[in-house]
Amino acid sequence: MEEYLEKVKEAVANLELDEVTPLLKEGLEAGIGAVDLLGAMSQGMVKVGELFEKEEYFLADLVLAGEMMKEGLKVLEPHLTETGVEKKGTVVLCTVKGDIHDIGKNLVGTMLTSSGFKVVDLGVDVSEDKVVEAVRSHSAGAVGLSVLLTTMVNSIGDVVSALKSAGLRDQVKIAIGGACTTQELADRMGVDAVGKDAVEAVRIFSSWFN
Amino acid sequence: MSVRHERVLAALELKEPDRVPTMDLMLEYANIYEILGKRPLPLGFLYSNPYAVRVMDWVFPRLNQSFGVDYSMNAFTYDRTAASVKMGYDSAWVIHVPIYRFFDTKRAYDIYGRAYDVTLDGKGNLGTPMYREGLISNPDDWRAWDKRDILRMPEKNNRAYRRVQRDFGDRLFIFGSFSGGLFEITWQCMGFQRYSVAVRKERKFVESMIRFYTDLYCLMLEAMADAGLPGVLYTDDLAYRSGPMFNPRTYEELFGDSYRRITETAHALGMKIAIHSCGNVYQLLEWFCDCGFDGVHALEPTAGMELARVKELVGKRICLMGNIDVTHVLVDATREEVFAAVRQSIMDAGKGGGYILAPTNSHGGMSVQRLRWMLEAVEKHGRYLLEEDFN
Repeated sequence: MEEYLEKVKEAVANLELDEVTPLLKEGLEAGIGAVDLLGAMSQGMVKVGELFEKEEYFLADLVLAGEMMKEGLKVLEPHLTETGVEKKGTVVLCTVKGDIHDIGKNLVGTMLTSSGFKVVDLGVDVSEDKVVEAVRSHSAGAVGLSVLLTTMVNSIGDVVSALKSAGLRDQVKIAIGGACTTQELADRMGVDAVGKDAVEAVRIFSSWFN
Repeated sequence: MSVRHERVLAALELKEPDRVPTMDLMLEYANIYEILGKRPLPLGFLYSNPYAVRVMDWVFPRLNQSFGVDYSMNAFTYDRTAASVKMGYDSAWVIHVPIYRFFDTKRAYDIYGRAYDVTLDGKGNLGTPMYREGLISNPDDWRAWDKRDILRMPEKNNRAYRRVQRDFGDRLFIFGSFSGGLFEITWQCMGFQRYSVAVRKERKFVESMIRFYTDLYCLMLEAMADAGLPGVLYTDDLAYRSGPMFNPRTYEELFGDSYRRITETAHALGMKIAIHSCGNVYQLLEWFCDCGFDGVHALEPTAGMELARVKELVGKRICLMGNIDVTHVLVDATREEVFAAVRQSIMDAGKGGGYILAPTNSHGGMSVQRLRWMLEAVEKHGRYLLEEDFN
């Protein structure tokens, strides 16, 4: 079995687009547990992240890996539900009000899912009220806000204020990311962290839930 | 040749002009109207009236069939150039994009197959449309896509640029523009996820689109040269805040030959050509030089681009352009901060020439007052010999 899982891990790490889904199906048929297969895929994603940080992989490669994860999860999810895998924590993700760019947000969502988080993706152009509602109804421990447009940065502050007004600010950590985000902006908006890419986002959220 | 032309040309040829030249990137109606003292059309305000919206929902798609969109874009190009002259810039990136078509008041698309949300700037004007998704996802879509409007672009560009060059060309070095580069246009018409997969698995499909647009851009260059433009800013966002979006090797495989053909065509026509890319482009700088570009623009501080380092890496091969921050410095900074940012950029890249000072980008939140301070600061700090030469 170890050898088989290694094959899954390597297929993900090497971005072998057409190999992963058949491997997972074969694995399930051979009686390998969905949790183990998911673990192997996640290890493959960790390798992808490492190669990205070494600048051997690029954004498009992360997207390819994300697409593979999505396809793989479609195969595994029915079996994972049966086994009731425990999640690391719940993260509410969205692109802020007034902005509809979603490449980075989607990537963060996929990377977090593959790292064992429950991700509640609210989509793009999301109002602060929807974020508050999602945090409350999912008992989320963290919020990830994506913003590309400089003109929309104040929407971050709107979310922070709405969470404060709802009495939820102390129970959630907030991270921001996107082209116009900086540490200075994070400080100004009163959020807890700024991430430069999806790999760093996973590191930030993981540190909060450990 | 005017002093402004000489100044810009000298920088692009890596020589030392009389002072550091400036370039304008203004794309927003609000700022343009503010500079020209014009009242905007109340189009944006009509959006708050549901009855007006209903009428516009009917009218907008019908404008696609008329010359309405083209007319408004021609007017925009003209006003936008006039505003640059009034501000006193040496050069300007002048876009002419008669490409947008409306589904209704909220959604638009363009002739290249990109869908947008219509935006408002809160001051009564339409904002820059916000890209939402691609409309071409496979070779069949591409074959079926109506390309007649695309093929009319060189002629439309020629007419619009001829007019601005005639009226403003003696006071401004005008950089013409395409409506997005080869990478941007081909990924955006199918979406980034789909494109990432297509580059891997359907390379021939992607290459066929690139070939089509390379031919088109070479024709557009002919049209711009015929209109008398001295330069072109080829805009292709190849990077994001922490690096290139694709492996630089993939960029070379997909676009290397096309880029070289485009720069060679521009040079053969007597034009200068610079490339604009947002994001962190360190890994692409040498490649830009190898492809034959005369300048590289954006060099965004927020993406980690340090001008002094870029100067050291490629300053002897390519003119550096941009670097003035548009997230804070040109939005809400104090006068002292604007002067300090300009001075720093000039100290980092101005020595020996080969630097054109400009904002890294354009958006509706930028302040005209701060742009004026930026130009004042260039007058103060940008005269050669530079301050540092005295030290």
